[in-house]
Amino acid sequence: MNRHVTTEQLSAYLDRELGIAEMRHLDAHFNACSDCGARLVSMQRVLNGLGRVQRAAAPPAIAQQIRRQIAAEAATPVSPLRRLLSLLSGLALQPHLRTSAAMALTLVLCISLVGHGVGGGEARQQKEKKFVVETYPGAPLSLPRTKSQVAGREFVLTEAGWVQLGLEGEQPGALVDSNSPEGQALLTEYSDLEVLLADGSPVVLRYNLETVELRGPHQGVRMLGFEPQPAYHTADLRLLSA
Amino acid sequence: MGVAAIYAAVHDLDLDIDLVERHRSGDAHAFDEVYERFGELVYNLALRLSGNREEAADLTQEIFLRVYRHLGSFGGRSTLKTWIFRVALNHCRDRLSRFSPATLPIEDGMEDGSTTLADPARSPEEMALAADDGRRVAEGLSRLPQVFREAVVLRDLEGLSYEEIAEVLGTRVGTVRSRIARGRDQLRSLLESGYEPSRHH
Repeated sequence: MNRHVTTEQLSAYLDRELGIAEMRHLDAHFNACSDCGARLVSMQRVLNGLGRVQRAAAPPAIAQQIRRQIAAEAATPVSPLRRLLSLLSGLALQPHLRTSAAMALTLVLCISLVGHGVGGGEARQQKEKKFVVETYPGAPLSLPRTKSQVAGREFVLTEAGWVQLGLEGEQPGALVDSNSPEGQALLTEYSDLEVLLADGSPVVLRYNLETVELRGPHQGVRMLGFEPQPAYHTADLRLLSA
Repeated sequence: MGVAAIYAAVHDLDLDIDLVERHRSGDAHAFDEVYERFGELVYNLALRLSGNREEAADLTQEIFLRVYRHLGSFGGRSTLKTWIFRVALNHCRDRLSRFSPATLPIEDGMEDGSTTLADPARSPEEMALAADDGRRVAEGLSRLPQVFREAVVLRDLEGLSYEEIAEVLGTRVGTVRSRIARGRDQLRSLLESGYEPSRHH
């Protein structure tokens, strides 16, 4: 090897991250080339220095503070939906139970369809009787909204799926499949988004200066409790309890 | 990867899954074990990325609260270690990009941020020898561009493999290799240029 060793090769050589043949080539080159030999010594010195950077012990107060906050959160009731999601995530973690998890999801979907579609008319009518929708010009929109704070952003559940607050009604400029390289990159950057995708809803958010729609593998499958809200095209609605 | 390494990885994954399942079933000790295993790693990562002990303590606390909230959704597609590092790194990026000054402060009472550059009285040989001074290296590290600092910290201080770092950073192994190399090279240049850490007041 006549050419000098690149910085990347030098670094990988020190990490033993090269193949045997390349390692041998570089061994020979370092013995023959004084410039590269000197660079090797120099870089090794930096690595020695990095090895001497002292590790700090985490202050015990951190653990105490975390426990206090967790205790405070535990005192807050957990929603049934979160319990269901947690349960199904737990099943999916075990390979031999993945099929069962998928079947459970299908069952939940069927119950959801029966309850709200073909045979659930009577129950739905009874439920609808509890509300009176009154409209008049200028009335403020007051609908119950399901919100979730994920990856430092607030999302609201709409008919379009989970939409980052402020982007409701906005047309996404791009569609991102969660299994595509772009989708994987997005999920790696904002891993918590998987929590939102878990129910089968798409997620609309700002990413790389544009509004994108992220779709997960369970697209189109909704779990109980995640039924989309009705589309309201006017702000002149007010929801009153009977 | 040797047989021992594969065995260790499988063992870790079993441990991870066991911890997550216990956490889901309401075993409060499971999360304590998660903190015991990863608390110090996360604190040191936060310390090296923020350059400030107080900030690192706040970050660690916030990171573990996020871990606690989302541990139930851990899918086992990566190890718990890389998953937690990814949560930690994302949180540090979010927080530090919002609040961090352009030049990071330095740890251990050297937080005035002042830096004295080349000392003409020191010979190149003395400067080179100083490159393996841990304190000096730590401060030099805080001067690296963020992408290089992250890669070098994960590799040389946290001891992650190239593959694990690629998973944490969400990038390819080739990119990781390049970032580590460039980060180390910039650190070498910085240290050999006679860069001096700031002094105690």
